[in-house]
Amino acid sequence: MPSTQTPPIAGTAIDPPGVRPDIDDAVIEVVSPRDLRARLEALRTQGYSMLLDLGAVDYLERTPRFEVVYHLLKLPAAAATVGQVGTPARLRVRCGLADGEHLPTVSDLWRSADWAEREVFDLFGIAFDGHPDLRRIQMPHDWEGHPLRKDYPLRGPARERSPRPAFGLKSNVQAGTPPSGRTLEALQEQVKEARDPSRLASLAPQDDKS
Amino acid sequence: MSLSTTPLTPEIVSHEGNAMVLSMGPQHPSTHGVLQIMLEIEGESVVKADPEIGYLHTGIEKNIENLFWSHGQTNVERMDYLAPSSNALCYVLAVEKLLGITDRIPERAKHIRVMAAELTRIASHCVWLGTHAIDLGAISVFFYCFDLRENILDLSEATGGARMHPNYLRVGGVNGDSPDGYLEKVDALIAKFPGRMRELRGLLQANPIFQDRTIDVGVLSVEEAVQWGVTGPSLRGSGVAYDVRKAFPYSGYEQYEFNVPTRTEGDAYARFLVRLDEMEESIKIVAQARENLRTPGPYAIDDPKIFPPPKETIALSMEALIHHFKIVSEGFRVPPGDVYQAVEGPRGELGYYVVSNGENRPYRVRTRPASLYNLQALKGIAPGNLIADLVVMIGSLDPVFGEVDR
Repeated sequence: MPSTQTPPIAGTAIDPPGVRPDIDDAVIEVVSPRDLRARLEALRTQGYSMLLDLGAVDYLERTPRFEVVYHLLKLPAAAATVGQVGTPARLRVRCGLADGEHLPTVSDLWRSADWAEREVFDLFGIAFDGHPDLRRIQMPHDWEGHPLRKDYPLRGPARERSPRPAFGLKSNVQAGTPPSGRTLEALQEQVKEARDPSRLASLAPQDDKS
Repeated sequence: MSLSTTPLTPEIVSHEGNAMVLSMGPQHPSTHGVLQIMLEIEGESVVKADPEIGYLHTGIEKNIENLFWSHGQTNVERMDYLAPSSNALCYVLAVEKLLGITDRIPERAKHIRVMAAELTRIASHCVWLGTHAIDLGAISVFFYCFDLRENILDLSEATGGARMHPNYLRVGGVNGDSPDGYLEKVDALIAKFPGRMRELRGLLQANPIFQDRTIDVGVLSVEEAVQWGVTGPSLRGSGVAYDVRKAFPYSGYEQYEFNVPTRTEGDAYARFLVRLDEMEESIKIVAQARENLRTPGPYAIDDPKIFPPPKETIALSMEALIHHFKIVSEGFRVPPGDVYQAVEGPRGELGYYVVSNGENRPYRVRTRPASLYNLQALKGIAPGNLIADLVVMIGSLDPVFGEVDR
């Protein structure tokens, strides 16, 4: 059987959703940031009662650069049995926006958007106007940058190592002589020796000029 | 890049009335991992609860973008670490859709996948039930549950070599046929299961202490549940029979006969009953899959560009060696496009929005974490309840922090 891999795919797509194969996973709609709020409000009244997910993608080389994707589900009003639920309609709303552009929040339409919008803000730096509590959610609150952006480095800058903790804590030693027989004074002496500048200089690589 | 942001400190700082701010977690034993809840309390009742997450954020989504397609599948298993095969199933289905090979997956591979997914659901519910019961002071349930889970982990070890993260499901099929003696072990599990379930139900279901603690606690109305995006057993406990296996069948689930248990009360006890019923439905599916596995057949797609040829052929055929080398050293490429694939995980709708730009690694894998949305509902149901009931609510929503924080 011929492989789906032949012929090989040449180059990479800058706008993958634009060249997607015909997959029947959801109805797809593309809206501009300006029309987004009105469109989603309309969808909400049309019965798309559940906002399943909200996520973003950073298409670095494309204009507009970012895309926020809303996954909606149209659960019927009466859904007590499997038959009543049937196959609910899935809708995907794609909204492209440039770096620095803001989007209106939908957390008042679907409360599930609350954390999802915070996550997009945290990891992509896309702000949502009108969100009640827009702050970082996954990363530490004082983090710099937005890690899921494609231009975010995979490694942090080289840092000086923080000094190792002393070998024995004072409190441990005070509780009695440790099984190794090392006293606090002996440990302190060891630390002092280990940190002696002349010893450290002798350990430094001699011939490495780079 | 600097965005003007709102202050980055938790906002619950209210000094009105007698309210007091209490931080519960992230080392609190009842938070099942690393959840911190900023509580505003008056006496013992909760005025406002604001879960703080992110303590377990490991950047799995970022990692996947920089690994081969086949490595991504190893990583997604680490998200919901109690149900690794559900995550893997969802990911491989999404990638297969992009590759356009969904119709070419052999039947046997589908049945093995269904069995793995259902076993993992039972194992996950075992952990939920054990820890939920231990939160409420019932210690012995924990041991009964973990004994049952141990049997399932043994099965997982037999298939993939690892107990927690077997990495058994692969794009194109599964990594090898069911090992010798595996199906007999499954038979033993199916035989053991009803008795064990009777014991578990006997310990808790009619237990007046357990009922007192869970009935009418953490009531989630249908409207609220839908608003918060709650799915899975928590949604079905509120009376919505939405199950991805029935609504959008995948991997051959349409051939299986099972019910979708629902309750209408929407409280912690209803969610407890739904999950117990669900375990029994799952073992029914496992039994059917076991019957289907009596017919031998291929366990993976016959396409050496996607799935490496059997290891034994490497020494005999040059093509096999080359294909193997190519897949290991540079992976396979996936045609550009985007796809959303959802499966019914133990916690609800687990989805992956996968974008490929034609390279040998994913461009973006966005998870739809069921736990995140379920946990978020805590903000809605906690106010007005006692702190002790908060513990019950967290347990009954069954969050897994590997998935919430990713």
